[in-house]
Amino acid sequence: MREQLIQYVNLLFAGSPGTYEMQQEILQNTLDRYDDLLSQGKTPEAAYRLAIGGIGDINEVLGSIPVSPDPRPTAERPTTPTPVPAVKNNRKWMQALAIGLYICCVIPVLIFENVGTGMLGVCLMFVMIAAATVLLILSPAEKEEQTEKESDDMPKTKLGRTLKRIWGLVTLGIYLSISFKTGAWHITWLVFPIMGAVNGIIRAAMDLKEAK
Amino acid sequence: MSIAGDLIRGHTDAIILARLLQSDSYGYEINKTISLLSGGQFELKEATLYTAFKRLEEQGLIASYWGDSGVGARRRYYTITPEGRYACYRLLQEWQETKCIMDSLLTQGGKL
Repeated sequence: MREQLIQYVNLLFAGSPGTYEMQQEILQNTLDRYDDLLSQGKTPEAAYRLAIGGIGDINEVLGSIPVSPDPRPTAERPTTPTPVPAVKNNRKWMQALAIGLYICCVIPVLIFENVGTGMLGVCLMFVMIAAATVLLILSPAEKEEQTEKESDDMPKTKLGRTLKRIWGLVTLGIYLSISFKTGAWHITWLVFPIMGAVNGIIRAAMDLKEAK
Repeated sequence: MSIAGDLIRGHTDAIILARLLQSDSYGYEINKTISLLSGGQFELKEATLYTAFKRLEEQGLIASYWGDSGVGARRRYYTITPEGRYACYRLLQEWQETKCIMDSLLTQGGKL
C-alpha cells in the first residue's frame, strides 16, 4: 500500500516537469501521514485513502510555479537567432558552389568536343547546370532580407526585369545570327543554356555582393 | 467544518508562522500540530501547506533547509526569519483587533 501511495503521488506530478523538489516534499509529507495513521491503528487501506485525501488539489501548487517553466521560452529565444548566421553561411556556400558549377559547366563540352564525343560533354554540362540550379533553389531563402531588398531596391528590381527581357532578346539575336552565319543549327542552341548560365552567374554574383 | 474551515484558512500564513515561532519544523509535523491544537477539527491539505511555504519563503518570512532524519527520509525543514517573527507578531495583533471587532459586531458587548 505504501508503494501504491508513492506511485500515486508520482503520477500526480507526471505531467509537470521541473517539480521534483515539490514532489519529494509532498510525497514525504504524505508518507509521514500514512505511517502516522498506521501507527494509530488504521488499516493500510484506510490510511491510504486518508493520506490521499490529505493531499488536496495539486493544481493549487502547480499553478503557483509557472514561474519556473515561464523563463524557459525567453531563455530559449536567444538561441533561436544563433542558427540564422549558420543558415546565412550555408546559403552563401550553396550559392558560391552553384556559381562555380555554372562557370565550369562549359569545360566538359570543350574537353569532350576535342575528344570527339561532344554529346557526353553536353550531357555533363546539363548535369552541372541542373545541380547548380538545384543548389540555388534549395539554398535557404532569407525572407526578411528579401522583403527589405524589394522595398529598398524597387527601381533596381524594375531595372533587373527590363535587363532580363533585353537579355532574352540578345540571346535570341545571338542564337539566330550565329546559326544563320555558321549553319550549325544542331549545336547553336547551346547559346540558350550558356546565356542562361551567364545570367545566373551575374545574378548570383550581384546577390552575393548585396549580401556582403 | 466548512464555514469555519474557510475562515481559518484565511489565516494559514499566521498559523504556520506561529508554529515556526516555537521551533523549526517540517510539513507533516506542522500539520499534525495544527490538527492536535485544533482538537482534530482543522487540518491543512498538503497542497495548501506547500503553497503557503513557497509564498512565505518568497516573502523572506521563512527559510528552508534539508534535514536528514537518518531513516532515509529526507525532509525539508522550515525556520522563521527575523522578518517572519515581526510579521507573525503583526498578524497576531491584527487578529486580536479583528477578534475584538467581530465580538462587538456579533455579540453586542459580550452578550447575544
